[in-house]
Amino acid sequence: MFGKYKPMWGEKTQLKSSYDVVIIGGGLHSLATAYFLAKEHGITDVAIIEKNYIGFGGAGRNTAIVRANQRTQYNVPLYKEALDLWPVLTKELDYNLMFNNCGNLNLMHSEAAMKAARMTIATAQFHGVESHLIDAKEAKELVPALNISEDITYPIHGAMFHPPGGVVRHDAVVWGLARGAAKHGVEIHQQTEAIAINTSNGKIVSVETSRGSISTNKVLISAGGYSAGLIYKMLGIKLPISVLTIQAMVTQPVKPLLNHVVSSGAYHCYANQTLKGEIATGAHMDHWPNYTTQTTAHYIKHQAEALSEFLPCLRGLRFMRIWAGLADMTPDMAPILDGNDQIEGFYFNCGWGYFGFKSCTASGKYMAQFMADGEAPDMIKPFNLKRYEQHKLMGETAELVSYTPNN
Amino acid sequence: MSLTITCPVCGKRDGYEFRFGGEDKGPRPEEDSLTPQTWCEYVHLNKSVAGVQKEWWVHKDGCGSWFTIYRNTVMNVEVQESEACR
Amino acid sequence: MVTRITQLPTLRIDPAQKVVFDYKGKDYAGFKGDTIATALYHNGVKIFGRSLKYHRPRGLYSLDGECSNTCMEVDGIPNVRTENTLLKQGMKVKEQNVKGSAENDMMGFIDKLDFMMPAGFYYRTMHKPAVLWPVAMKQIRKAAGIGTISPDFEMPGRFEQIFPSADVVVIGGGPAGMNAALAAADKGLRVVIMESRPWLGGFFDYRTVDYRDSEYKKNKQLYIRAKELASKVESHSGIRVFKHASVVGTYTNNLVTGFQIGGEKDNFTERYIEIRAKSVVVAAGCIERPLLFENNERPGVMQVGCVHRLARTYGIIAGERAVFSVGHDLGLEAAIDLFDLGMKILCVADVREDGQNPYLMIELAKRNILLLKGWVVSEAHGSKRVKGVTMTTLDGTISRDFECDLVAASAGFTPINGHLTLAHAKLRYDSHTNFFVADTMPERTYSAGRMLGLEDSLSIEVSGMLAGLKAALECKKFYDAGICKTSDGVANSQESINQLSSEIDTVTAKLKELPGTARGSKFVNAPVKGRKSFICFDEDTTIKNIKQAVEMGFDVPELIKRFTSAGTGPGQGGIPGHNLPLYVAKYTAAKNSSSGSHPKPTNVRPPLVPTFISTYAGRKHIMMKRTPMDQMQRADGGVFRKIGVWERARYFSNDFSCKKEIENVRNNVGMLDGSTLGKFRIHGPDALKALQRVYVSDMSKVKAGRIKYSAMCNDDGCVIDDGVVIKLGENDYYFTTSTARAGSTIEWIRYHTRFDGWDFYLVNLTDSMGVINLSGPNARKVLQKVISQDNDASIQDVSNEAFPFSGYREFMIKNTIPVKAMRLGFVGELSYELHVPSSYMVSLWNMVKEAGKEFNIQNFGVEAQNVLRMEKCHIILGQESEQRTNLLDLGLGFLWDRTKKDAKTIGAAALRHAENDPTRFRLVGFKMEDNGRAPNDGALIVDDKVRGYVCTARDSFTLNEAVGMALVESHLAEIGTRLAIFEDECKGELIYGKVVPMPFYDPDGRRMKS
Repeated sequence: MFGKYKPMWGEKTQLKSSYDVVIIGGGLHSLATAYFLAKEHGITDVAIIEKNYIGFGGAGRNTAIVRANQRTQYNVPLYKEALDLWPVLTKELDYNLMFNNCGNLNLMHSEAAMKAARMTIATAQFHGVESHLIDAKEAKELVPALNISEDITYPIHGAMFHPPGGVVRHDAVVWGLARGAAKHGVEIHQQTEAIAINTSNGKIVSVETSRGSISTNKVLISAGGYSAGLIYKMLGIKLPISVLTIQAMVTQPVKPLLNHVVSSGAYHCYANQTLKGEIATGAHMDHWPNYTTQTTAHYIKHQAEALSEFLPCLRGLRFMRIWAGLADMTPDMAPILDGNDQIEGFYFNCGWGYFGFKSCTASGKYMAQFMADGEAPDMIKPFNLKRYEQHKLMGETAELVSYTPNN
Repeated sequence: MSLTITCPVCGKRDGYEFRFGGEDKGPRPEEDSLTPQTWCEYVHLNKSVAGVQKEWWVHKDGCGSWFTIYRNTVMNVEVQESEACR
Repeated sequence: MVTRITQLPTLRIDPAQKVVFDYKGKDYAGFKGDTIATALYHNGVKIFGRSLKYHRPRGLYSLDGECSNTCMEVDGIPNVRTENTLLKQGMKVKEQNVKGSAENDMMGFIDKLDFMMPAGFYYRTMHKPAVLWPVAMKQIRKAAGIGTISPDFEMPGRFEQIFPSADVVVIGGGPAGMNAALAAADKGLRVVIMESRPWLGGFFDYRTVDYRDSEYKKNKQLYIRAKELASKVESHSGIRVFKHASVVGTYTNNLVTGFQIGGEKDNFTERYIEIRAKSVVVAAGCIERPLLFENNERPGVMQVGCVHRLARTYGIIAGERAVFSVGHDLGLEAAIDLFDLGMKILCVADVREDGQNPYLMIELAKRNILLLKGWVVSEAHGSKRVKGVTMTTLDGTISRDFECDLVAASAGFTPINGHLTLAHAKLRYDSHTNFFVADTMPERTYSAGRMLGLEDSLSIEVSGMLAGLKAALECKKFYDAGICKTSDGVANSQESINQLSSEIDTVTAKLKELPGTARGSKFVNAPVKGRKSFICFDEDTTIKNIKQAVEMGFDVPELIKRFTSAGTGPGQGGIPGHNLPLYVAKYTAAKNSSSGSHPKPTNVRPPLVPTFISTYAGRKHIMMKRTPMDQMQRADGGVFRKIGVWERARYFSNDFSCKKEIENVRNNVGMLDGSTLGKFRIHGPDALKALQRVYVSDMSKVKAGRIKYSAMCNDDGCVIDDGVVIKLGENDYYFTTSTARAGSTIEWIRYHTRFDGWDFYLVNLTDSMGVINLSGPNARKVLQKVISQDNDASIQDVSNEAFPFSGYREFMIKNTIPVKAMRLGFVGELSYELHVPSSYMVSLWNMVKEAGKEFNIQNFGVEAQNVLRMEKCHIILGQESEQRTNLLDLGLGFLWDRTKKDAKTIGAAALRHAENDPTRFRLVGFKMEDNGRAPNDGALIVDDKVRGYVCTARDSFTLNEAVGMALVESHLAEIGTRLAIFEDECKGELIYGKVVPMPFYDPDGRRMKS
């Protein structure tokens, strides 16, 4: 009933000596950009260069939460579009991305937080995104496991409830997009490392890889947490990015217990139940730059302490596995989508922090348009690099910038 | 991972006693010399080195000193200066 | 009921003590020392549960929790590994993942539908048409997951945590680990040894004679040797023993974490253990590598070690008629020992054509046990439990069937490498031992024993001793380098290091003379045609699934693991950990007809053993700071909230609009506990320079007897803090910060002066000083009364002339209480802030309260203060400001002194760049149109786009109208501009306000200043 088992993203091929577009990084943003370049803009002579295997980085390490309740007017429409694209892509790619539209519950632990949530909710509603402020009792009705007593470090005052959000199967997105892109002619070269980018007269001319040189005049770096380091190393462009290690973990699988994504800023913690039944939980980062994907004893303990307070029944479950990935944080918690400026033909897409999964579909769509036209579409124009020197931080976080990455 | 940091005053301690203070970018520039670009470079921009970098730390749960160390960002371990220069 | 052997010297049960428990509503009995699973097995239970996907019957397979076969619900807790959970009186045990019973599961038919569920089938189904998915998803969720937990479940028991310190941590309490611990402890080092079983002894504990080693044979039985070592270890003053304590994580810099299960005499159920060691010895031993054949997880198929330990440790002969299919000498040894214990063994198949230990061959022959060399079990028969097997030669040409109820099957061993790889050892596949072995070791970490591939008993012991000595040497080097202080009894002279080094050389030489690593059994995949050879039991992943994944382009084991889920279940890779990479390497090599690729191991992740969230959490500690007046405010009916690190009185009634509190401040006098304010002293030759760096104002202009209000910015020009500065003397200042900044101010000032080499002292007085804010028209009268006890007439004078607005005074009350008094006006009234050492706060509070009685003094809380200051348009950082607003946007530009460029003031450059930018936000005051109500805080200012937002807005009792402050784009900042306000849930119904001058209350400040 499933036919013959064929390679999903084409047989391994030789690397050609030239491509119209070279994309460095085999994660979600790269795969989505390649897919849209090929499908929407007819640019099919595209090579994706991935040092490990597709989905090695953040794409395979995130906990796949999707939502569109960002804080500011530039971000909400972008994330809304990304959210709307899941069912569309499921159909287009003919691959079950397993969008579980369970809704997200963001807990508030003080009167001040409730007020801050109102602004985010108003912004969502103004842009046609459903989001509501609910009180602690209503939150408990949605998530019976919640502890709404006063007897915890951060008592729950209420929550921001965002019904359109949920969880997507992250691996499915990687494999589905890879298959879709390959169908349209995109070549995916795994185990291939980009070593250098050559420019001439301010223009891109070629990319050196571990498997030889490729001449091209359009390059995109969208290598997730590795982008900032690569861009500086290869082209000397510094970015306002701090690469931090972010961790997540799962418990042993149990029958349905949590029917929504629950998150808490005060506890630095979110939890949701995967389709397999595991409680996936995470959020914390050590606040210093790292390229390590090692986990910490400190954090798994912290997470247990937090969950013990606001979802106390989970005390009877066991953690089974903790892992880590990279989050490239910007001071304003908004990404940098830029290109064709510092160097002609050079594009970059990074700084998504821990929002890289939920945004990948829209980011790919607009970066593809950007690369096809050479000019940034309105939707992503505000996300340029210049905003930092123009004192125009985006305010996705209210937090002031300090000397240390503080998210 | 489990970072330890050597404080010049207190010796080797658990990394969570400290707070990170950014890549070392040298002394504070003169106010008049700052264009928006050089200001941004000093305040916001990083090299994000995957390897050894010189960086600032403060012993927040200890003596309160600010000091620099060399750290390998790939392994998240403090390294000796001699190792860093290699 | 299986009869027990009750007279073995190796038993860990006490047949004299019965333990009664409840299984599915009926009482059963086991013995003290039994695990739940051994007690059930003793009672004839063979099927413990059903598998995740296919609902196949599952039975006892291992005894150390390598798979989820024996996971059951115990006392309401799901997924308890009954095979290594000690039985306790009164336990309630239930099966999981069954509809009906484990014996007769109505979902069992799914096993036949496997053809519909190839690797990753769910990615390719159920999404067409789109409406199908939500329905299908519900069913998937219901089917997935094993075990249930109730949302109101309360975890019983007491959970603790300890953080012992140690020089050497030894992981594993077997013969190698115990030798390592003794070797290191004998050198005067502090050693911790962690053993996951409830006793020390490792794999010596259940063995009698090592037939292969004549030396040992002459001496004594292995279990006696284990007991000898254990008693030495437990009585050694330098060794702390944690039994029943699994290591779950190892990290760089030798951090080791684990947890211990409490025994009868312990006051904890489980406790989390975290140890920072100087060096680590890993002697974790091996687990068995499952044999791959058709129905290789049918109840009745067990690991050899499981069968052996059931007999030796628990007194249970696991079957009536047994066949063995093994690939190593220990399998043969087990067969011999079990035969001697009375097990009927039909045959022993050994995948090896040759290379068996001759001593073992002799012993097998003596007992007439049929040995089939080069044979392997290819299929287990029987629908719910094993009824027979087919044995074949490796090429599959000859086969024989046996009727049996027990199959002891084991392909070989695989080292428990997790402790090494978590600490970043790199693994390499070694073709001699057929182990993944560590190529590069973590710093100051040594491994010993079986995991190196050693099988000889004496070699194992000596390797442990060697590792212990090496670890000791590292610790001594550490002490010698002065990185750590010497602990008691540690000689740290160069001489002792030399001695230790030569001792290491001697032991190394000794180990070389003993038998080295054994040749490991090759990867064997029995010649099978069927579809149900399981590579991962937990996830029901078959060999066929792995092939499918490889065909689809997944060529890295780690990816195959993701695609097929193999190794992601509760057993955490115990079963497929070794076989998956080996199978993939073999299959891809065959497919690409290459000579063979190197097997790549999949990642192991902490916790190495599934660990309760309650155990990680340990005991709950909520730590909040309380002010000196905490109790008195609670007695006065304060409603407290956690705000930052503090608990503060936010309200003094359940009227959260705070009408009474507000009106009392405006009309009489109120008192507020302001003790959470940050309070600092800075002094020393360069104190002023430091203040010039961080404050935007010119701090050289601070006058004696006056306070100066100023702000600190960050490099973006955003206000991070505001407060007052008082000059106490030359280069000696007292200053306040907001509550939120109290913890980081010293760090901030030191950071921004770190290159300058300035000489100044900074003292955080936040906790040592308390603050009373006395505000309202009657505040002066109250203050007058409080200080009137004082003698000095000039100090007693608190008239507006003598102590004007912005004035600062110091005085003593009753010649005892030193007060720093400031004349401020945050709430817009006549107002004093009294800063007093915390120890006097209670007295002063009572005195103020007493003195204020006749003026109707009342408490007011943080929310009342919030409204009062808002009416006066005094800002609160974080409320009227955020990341996008700078000092100028807030209208506080007057604080900035632009002439002190040499100070390199933080934020000044950014303010210069941004000051003429017309596109920035501005803070404005507004009133609602038509006497409308105040909008919600956080409501948006909109046209076709978002143009700003409401920071704080209230229906003001004082002004009798709704007022507020908002941050808006500058083109909307003109007085008189109409603001369209979009609130959450407004359904498009906008409300309108109008920009008005600030402040709303007492615009000329007469009340505040007179």
